[in-house]
Amino acid sequence: MRLLKQVEIQPGCVRTDGNRIDSLCGLSLSEIYRKVCNGYSKFFKMDGLCKTGFVAAELLLEGLTPEQKAEGSVILFGRAGSLATDRNYENTIRNPENYYPSPALFVYTLANIVTGEIAIRHKMQGESSMYVLPQYDREAETRTVQAAFDESDTTLIVSGWVDYENDDNYKAILNLYTKD
Amino acid sequence: MEELINQLKEQIIEALNLEDMTPADIDADAPLFGEGLGLDSIDALELIVLMEREYGIKLGNPAEGKKIFSSVASIADYVSKNRKK
Repeated sequence: MRLLKQVEIQPGCVRTDGNRIDSLCGLSLSEIYRKVCNGYSKFFKMDGLCKTGFVAAELLLEGLTPEQKAEGSVILFGRAGSLATDRNYENTIRNPENYYPSPALFVYTLANIVTGEIAIRHKMQGESSMYVLPQYDREAETRTVQAAFDESDTTLIVSGWVDYENDDNYKAILNLYTKD
Repeated sequence: MEELINQLKEQIIEALNLEDMTPADIDADAPLFGEGLGLDSIDALELIVLMEREYGIKLGNPAEGKKIFSSVASIADYVSKNRKK
């Protein structure tokens, strides 16, 4: 397998293949979204984890055709999972006097939703999975991606680390792999 | 009624995170689902919560909800006749 491209996003810094993108550095996730894709209103309904992964995937996959992406897979790793949204959702059900559980928040209380949001956006029909690890483990990523190439018909894989705690503390390192 | 319609538009924009929209962008008579605003099933659930939280209205009948949520104008009409707060 071969690494085609890498995108890294964290507060204050956006890099593609290690090169800092000055025009995007210092922008919030929503501001980056408006600059790089816009027109996908579902973005604003996503939680922070999904926004982080979504924006990174937009940068990673720009320029690829639908045919190139069709057999693609999304295999991600992270530490906090959906913890930030779990906490937000808990706040909507904590007070018995003001008990209005939010369905729109509840749907994001699963960490793997971020893989689905990316797959839906780019119409990638291969495997999608999310693993929770204590820290970014590039070897685990390589093993898992290789296994996906070996055991399925997927030809393109978006993989890497996506983690979100709050708007001041998030990180995505996404890698784009091809089978050969 | 005009005031209630505008209030509902603002509440819908906030509850459904329609960040790119202003009340002026929403046609009160346009369909909320499918065409029009293009809302989905999760949005429908969020609207049900909004009705209860803001107006004390509990919707128990799905068929009734489909008719009520057909447009902002139809929501306003139902709210004006059934609101508890």
